[in-house]
Amino acid sequence: MATATATAGITEAAPRVRRRTKHGGLAPWLFALPALIVYIVFLVYPAFSSLFFSLTDWDGLSPAYNIVGLENYRAMVDDPVVIRAAINNVIWTVVTIVFPVVIGLALAVTLNGKVRGKPILRMLYYTPGVLPLVAVASIWGWLYNPDYGAVNTLLRAIGLDGLAQPWLGQNSTALAAVMVPAIWLRTGFPMLLYLAALQGIPQDQYEAATMDGATRSQQFWHITMPNLRPAHYIVLALSLIDSFKVFDLIYATTYGGPGTATQVMGTWMYFNVFQYYHAGYGTAIAVVITLVAIAVSIPYVLSQTKEHHS
Amino acid sequence: MTGTPYTRRNFLGLTGLAIAGAGLSACTGVSDSNSGGSSGGGGGSNKLRLFTYEDATQLDNFKAQLKTFDQQNGTVTTVDNLPGSGAAVYPDKLRTELLGGSGPDVWRIWGGQIGAPYAKAKQAADLAPYYQKYGWDSKINQNAIAGMTFDGVKSGVPFFLAGVGGWYSKAAFDKAKVDVPKSYAELEQLNDKLVAAGITPCGLGGKYGWDIMRLFEYLLEQSTGPELHDKLLSGAESWDRPEVVTAFTNFKKWQDRKWLPQGAVGLDPADIEPGYVQGKNAYTITGQWTENNAIQNAKKKSSDFGTFELPTDHTPARHSGFVEGYMINARSGNKDKAAALIDFLVKPDTQKALGITGSTVAGAEPDKAKLPLSYEWTEINKTSSFYTIQDQAFPKQQADQYFSLQSDLLQGKVAPAAAAKRMQEIVSAWAKSK
Repeated sequence: MATATATAGITEAAPRVRRRTKHGGLAPWLFALPALIVYIVFLVYPAFSSLFFSLTDWDGLSPAYNIVGLENYRAMVDDPVVIRAAINNVIWTVVTIVFPVVIGLALAVTLNGKVRGKPILRMLYYTPGVLPLVAVASIWGWLYNPDYGAVNTLLRAIGLDGLAQPWLGQNSTALAAVMVPAIWLRTGFPMLLYLAALQGIPQDQYEAATMDGATRSQQFWHITMPNLRPAHYIVLALSLIDSFKVFDLIYATTYGGPGTATQVMGTWMYFNVFQYYHAGYGTAIAVVITLVAIAVSIPYVLSQTKEHHS
Repeated sequence: MTGTPYTRRNFLGLTGLAIAGAGLSACTGVSDSNSGGSSGGGGGSNKLRLFTYEDATQLDNFKAQLKTFDQQNGTVTTVDNLPGSGAAVYPDKLRTELLGGSGPDVWRIWGGQIGAPYAKAKQAADLAPYYQKYGWDSKINQNAIAGMTFDGVKSGVPFFLAGVGGWYSKAAFDKAKVDVPKSYAELEQLNDKLVAAGITPCGLGGKYGWDIMRLFEYLLEQSTGPELHDKLLSGAESWDRPEVVTAFTNFKKWQDRKWLPQGAVGLDPADIEPGYVQGKNAYTITGQWTENNAIQNAKKKSSDFGTFELPTDHTPARHSGFVEGYMINARSGNKDKAAALIDFLVKPDTQKALGITGSTVAGAEPDKAKLPLSYEWTEINKTSSFYTIQDQAFPKQQADQYFSLQSDLLQGKVAPAAAAKRMQEIVSAWAKSK
């Protein structure tokens, strides 16, 4: 009897165990619950809330608003600043990814060799990245001062007076002038990641290549670069996110000016929501930024998934 | 052993429920519509929070005055200060605080179109009962009160009436052998002589728009005269007219003749405006606060500097001006004490102790011995009225479009006649949206 009961108990328990094994059961969800709640309360709910407000004419202060449907999205097409901001975003993203990554990689390869004062150089290159952006904006604002700034003073000192410009005071140079400090402060991070990745490449690969007569260039392209592939993914993904959400450096350095010459989508969204009392329109811009960011990050997510499965 | 998984599950379940409960309660915890301000909803609280933008050098003195008020009234007043940002950033932070569900009990704000949104959205309380209780109507300058009255509702208590004019270095003027100009033609001649003496005449920066705007609004007053200027600002007359084209043409001339610093459009006002004290420029266009903030904080003597009303060649002679005052949070649970605090701040003795250089309160004129140049403006204000400074004449969006247009003009991207047309489009669009 006792045996029969025990057997029956095992028989009944078996499907439950299988079910739990197959679907993971409730336990994983309970473990994830705290993070999920935080995610829902602080990300999902505000995101849907923003989506809703993008369909209204809310001014951001008053308790009342009207539903205007897709009018805010339609209005974006007629807003010349949105178009300028979108173009600026693309330029900013390309430039502030390509330059820091290439320079960071070059510095990492250099510092990975036999270089004197390596720790000091590493710290020097990385230091700009930890400075507060408002401080960076002030520093570069002074450097760019047309009359007293170091940039024009240097140009005049070496006889290039013609190149001295009001860098932040004219549409033609303002965006490029803000991108320079962005490159300066963002080079250290990829450098560190690449340096860590370089130190993980087995030396015997280089020794074997040298034995086979491979040049340094061939070693770089056929050993170093393939081994850096995981680092490339991380660097590019983080740089892309960082570039796309640009706001603070532009806001603090040029305030989107002169005029609207250096507006990007993030600053224009901010101006509309927080300064012009067009919260509905501003959140519509925020929704568009989010959708573009998601679309841009899809290839990265897919490539990562593919990498994981392979 | 068999009980272990269930214990873990129970534990996780309870934890999840507790967190969910906490999360939900947090979500519902912001719904108390009467809980504005740090004082909470209770009318009996003694806590007050004041948000302001005092210059950092004046903050200790300001806090000392608040301490006196607290001692007299049994309150505890805390101060949040955001100095140096000007009207470009401070209103954003205030708005964010108000939307965040609480906000300060009292806040300092500019008048005109900068303060208007808070009144129109009913974030600022109607202060009519307190005007009556404290008799502010009879104590405070009526023009200043008008600057903080929106749609007939007195939403603020003005304490500062700024007059904007020329502030110059006597050393620079002496070097160029020039004197204070009495007409616009003389001002242009003065600029040329300063340039010839190797001195950049007028230190203004256009990073936020509002600093260099002070030059354009003066040129507009000079070319249009008072009556037309006021009509342009109210939208009663078209901007697409010769007088406005003249103002834009003159504006460009100031840049082209190097009467402004190189690349003025991109300069930060905080860096360039004190230039006349630092010997970088001959003069700037600013208000009385510069005597405290730029001259005396730099340990310079006021007697080494001078001030003048920019000559318009019109009667009445007017200068740019604006008001600043205090508003009370409509959701504050402590409005009575907040009003008492404001009343304390606008008492003549407090105004004098705070060193307010352009008080709206009778009997609180700046000390002639300590602030001689600010005192001069008290005298100027007696005979000269003011036109609304233009970042307060237009809502922020239109003001930014206006600044953008000025920027394009200075860079040669738009001609004066086209700028006048474009400005009319901006004002028309604003009129339609009202």
